[in-house]
Amino acid sequence: MKLDPLTQRQFKRFREIKRGWYSAVVLVLLILSTGFTELLVNNRAIVVNYQGSWHFPTYADFKPGTTFGLDYAYETNYRELARHLEDTQQGWVWLPPVPFSPYEINTYPDQFAPHPPNAEQGHYLGTDTAGRDVLARLVYGFRIAIWFSLILLVTTFAVGISVGCAMGYFGGSFDLFFQRVIEVWSNVPFLYVIMIIASIITPSFSLLILLMVLFGWMGMTWYMRTATYKEAARDYVMASRSLGATHSRLIFRHILPNTLSLIITFVPFSITGGITSLTSLDYLGFGLPPPTPSWGELLKQGTDNLDALWIVSSVVGALVILLVMVTFIGEAIREAFDPKQHTIYE
Amino acid sequence: MRQLIRASMFGLLCWSGLSQALSYEPLGLDALPADLEWQTNTALPVSPSDQAIRGGTLRQHILSYPLTLRTVGPDSNSSTRGIILENQWSLTGLNPNDESIVAVLADSWAYDADGKTVYYRLREEVRWSDGEPVTADDYLYTLEFMRSDAIVAPWYNNYYSEQITDVKKYDDYTISVTSAVKKSPVDLQLAVSISPTAQHFYTLDENFVLEYNWKIAPNTGPYQITQNSIRRGKGKYLELERKDDWWGDQFEQFKNRYNASKIRYRVIKDNNVAFRFFEKGDLDLFGLVLPELWHQKAQGELYDNGYIHRLKAYTDTRQPARGLFLNQADPLLADRNVRLGLQHSMNFEKMIATVLRNDYERLPQHYTGYGDYSADIQPRGFDLALADQYFNAAGFIERDAQGYRVNDQGTRLSFTVTYGTAIHNDRLVILKEEARKAGVELVLELLDAQASYKKTQEKRHQIAWTGWSTGWRPAYRQHYHSETANRAQTNNITNTADPAIDALIDAYRASEEEAEKKDLSRQIQQALHERGALIPSYQVPYTRLGYWRWLQLPQSGYVTRTGGGLFDLFDPVSGGIFWIDRSVKKATEDAMDDDVAFEPVYVENTDWRQ
Repeated sequence: MKLDPLTQRQFKRFREIKRGWYSAVVLVLLILSTGFTELLVNNRAIVVNYQGSWHFPTYADFKPGTTFGLDYAYETNYRELARHLEDTQQGWVWLPPVPFSPYEINTYPDQFAPHPPNAEQGHYLGTDTAGRDVLARLVYGFRIAIWFSLILLVTTFAVGISVGCAMGYFGGSFDLFFQRVIEVWSNVPFLYVIMIIASIITPSFSLLILLMVLFGWMGMTWYMRTATYKEAARDYVMASRSLGATHSRLIFRHILPNTLSLIITFVPFSITGGITSLTSLDYLGFGLPPPTPSWGELLKQGTDNLDALWIVSSVVGALVILLVMVTFIGEAIREAFDPKQHTIYE
Repeated sequence: MRQLIRASMFGLLCWSGLSQALSYEPLGLDALPADLEWQTNTALPVSPSDQAIRGGTLRQHILSYPLTLRTVGPDSNSSTRGIILENQWSLTGLNPNDESIVAVLADSWAYDADGKTVYYRLREEVRWSDGEPVTADDYLYTLEFMRSDAIVAPWYNNYYSEQITDVKKYDDYTISVTSAVKKSPVDLQLAVSISPTAQHFYTLDENFVLEYNWKIAPNTGPYQITQNSIRRGKGKYLELERKDDWWGDQFEQFKNRYNASKIRYRVIKDNNVAFRFFEKGDLDLFGLVLPELWHQKAQGELYDNGYIHRLKAYTDTRQPARGLFLNQADPLLADRNVRLGLQHSMNFEKMIATVLRNDYERLPQHYTGYGDYSADIQPRGFDLALADQYFNAAGFIERDAQGYRVNDQGTRLSFTVTYGTAIHNDRLVILKEEARKAGVELVLELLDAQASYKKTQEKRHQIAWTGWSTGWRPAYRQHYHSETANRAQTNNITNTADPAIDALIDAYRASEEEAEKKDLSRQIQQALHERGALIPSYQVPYTRLGYWRWLQLPQSGYVTRTGGGLFDLFDPVSGGIFWIDRSVKKATEDAMDDDVAFEPVYVENTDWRQ
C-alpha cells in the first residue's frame, strides 16, 4: 500500500512521540492476544499426551474425565490430570501459564474465599469472593471490554459519521430536521433507560451495544456536520462537481478523506469511553449478567470487600494502566495530526 | 344532596348484602349461649424492663419502597407489607414459647361446643388511629371487605368465604367468629383471630385498587405511618410514629413497651451499602446472619471498642422455605426425571462448606420445623450418578461441545434461574459451576428485587431462587394446590397441579381431627418430595445481629423461641421491648470522637438452643 506523503509524515511524527507509540504497540499486541486468550489463561490444557495419543483440548469439544481414564463424566480437571499422569507415568500435560478458567471456583481446605495471592496455588492476583482466579477474570474481562468498546466505536462512528456527513453535505431542511431530532434524542437520559431495561430483562452483550449505539451516535454528528460543511464549500469540491462527480463520489472520495484526521483524533477517547461505560454499568449491576467476567463486577466486589485488597487493587491497577495507555495514544495522535504542523496558510 | 342519595343507596346495598351474607339481624341480636367459659391470658413470652426509656428514633433500612400501602390486592405482597400489617392487630396473639393464646384486641374468649366457633369480648378501650372506637361492626366489615371482588385478592376472597364462614355480633363489644372446620383450640384461634377493618375509611368499588394505593388506613397497633412517608419520603423512606394517645398504654400488658418514638426505614437498595450506613452509625441495627458479614466484615475497631454490640440468639422453630422453585409449566421441568436430575445436580453441600462457611445447614423440605406436622424427609444430595440416571431417563443422554446434555431434538438442558439479590451471586455461581459437571446449564438472571418478584408472581420464570416465610401450620393450598397453579399473582410458583396432591390438601384443610391432620400433612410433604418441584437450600437455626450500644434490651427474657422479641418493633405479644438510650448515644459519640474504647460486647443467647 502506498501512503500519500502527508499521511507518511503524520505517521512518522506519531512514531516519534515515544510514549504514544509504545502504548499503541502494547495495546495492539494486547488486542491481538485476545484472539488466543484461551491458550494463555485457561483451565483446559494446551496439549495432553496420554498413553501416546495427542489431545488438544483448548479449542476442541469438552472432554469428559473418562477420556483420560479418570472416573468422572464431566469436564476433565487438567491440573489434576497433570499430577495424575506424572504419578502414573502415562503421559504429560502442557498447561497454560495461568491454569484457571474465569468461571472455575477454586476451593482449598481450611480456607475461605477470597484467597489472597499465592504463587504456589497459581493465583498470582488471588481469588475473588467466590474463589475464582482474579487474573483470569481480569484477562477475560479485558477481552470483553475491549471488543465491546471496539464494536461500539465502529457502529457509533458509522451511524454518526453518515448522519453528520449527510447533514453537512445536503444542508437545508434535511439538516434542520436532523438537528432537531438529535437535540431531542440527546435529552433522553441514557443511563436511566439502561437501568430500567436492565431491571426488567437481563441485558446481553449485543443488546448493550445496541442500546449504547442508540443513545450514543449523536456525539459524532455535530463534528462531522461542521467538518463537512467546511469541506463542501472548498473549491476542489466545486471543481469535481463541475466535472460531473456524483454525490457519493464527492462524499466518499473527496470530503470524507479530508475529515479523517478529525475522526482519528476521536478514536482513542471513544475507546476509553466504551470501556468505562461498560465497567460502570457492570459496577452498578446493570451490565452483563453474572458470572460473565467483567472489570465492573470485580470493582464492585473489590469495593464491597476492602479487606481483600488484592481484588480492588488488581482491577483498579488494570483500569489505570489501560486508560493511561489509551490516553497516551490519543495525545500522540492529536499531536501527529495537528494541522499546524503540516499546513501553511498564505 | 346527590352525594347523600348516593351514600344512602350504597348503605342500602351494603345493608341487604350484609344481612344475607352474615345472617346478621340488626334488630334482634342473637343471644350468647349461656354456658360459655370465658378465658383470658396476658402472660408474655418476654419480660419488658421498667428501666425502659421512651423516645428516640430507630433507624433501619428496607431494600425497596413498597409499590402500594394496601395490604391486599395486586402488588401488595412485598417484603415491606409486614411493616404495615403488623400494626393492624388482631383479636388475639400467640405466645411462641408455650403456644398459648394471648389477649390483644379481645379481652377474653370462649369456645363453642361445636369446635368451630370462638366468642370474643372486645376491649372497649381499643381505638383506631383516627380516634374512632373499634366495635363489633368493624369485625363484621372485615368479612365483607375480604369477600369483596373489589380488592382483587382471590386468596383472601377464598379464605374469608371458605375458611371463615361467619362473624356474628352480640352487642357492640361481643362477637363470634366461625371457622368452616373443626379445629383444636389453638389452631382454631389462629384461624379465626381476625383483624378489624375500619368501616368508616373504605369504599369498596371498582376503583379500590387505585384509590387506596397511597392512603394510610387507620390501624390499631402502637405505630402509624406518617403522611411524610408518602409526601416527602416516597421512594426514599418509610416513617412510623408512636401514637401519643395509644389505647394500649392503659394496659399493664403493654407497659414499658413500644418505646421508640419514631421508626424510620430508609430505602437502601443494596445491602452492602446499608452495612456501610450501619457502620457509620446511620442505621441502629443490622442483621448479621450472612457468614461473610459475621466472620469477615463485622470485625474491627467498631466492635473491638464496644461501640457496636454483637448478638447471636439460637432459635428452635419453623424454617423459611428457601431454595430453587422449579416452574412445572415449563416443558422441560414438567418432566419429573428432569426435576429429580436437577435435585441431584445442585451442590448445596459445597455451597454451605465454602461461601456459607459451614454456618448453615441443609434444608430438608419446604415445611421444616413444624413439629409433628413435618415429615422426616432427607434432602436429595449432590450425586452425579443419580443425576445421570434421571437425565438419561428423560432422554438427555448425549453431551454437546460445551459438555451440556442435549436430547434427540437437540434441546440443551439449560435453565434460567431468576433471582433478585446480588448478595446471592456467589452462592448461585457455585451451583452453576457444579451443575456443569452434571451437564446442566444454569443461566443466572439477576433482576431488581421488584422485577424478579413480579416475574415469579406472573409465573414467567423457569427456576426461581427465592424463599417463603413461615406460618403457624404448614400452608399448602397457596403453594401447591391446582387452584392456584398457572395463574398470575398466586404463591404457587412451582405451578404444581396434581389431582392426588389436591385431594390431600383438600382433606388436610377439611380435617377436624388433629392426629389425622398431622398424618395428612406428612403425606402431602412426602408427595411433594416425590414431585421434587422445590430444591430446598439451607436453614439457619439462629439469628445474629449487630447493634449500636445505645440500643438497650432487658436483662433477660428478651428472645422468644422463634427468635422474636429482641428488636422486634410491633408484635403485640413479643415486640417493642427494647429502648433507645439517648444519653448513651451521646456518650458513645463523644467516646468515638475522643477514641475512648468500651468493653467489647458479644452476647450469645442459648435460651432456645436445640
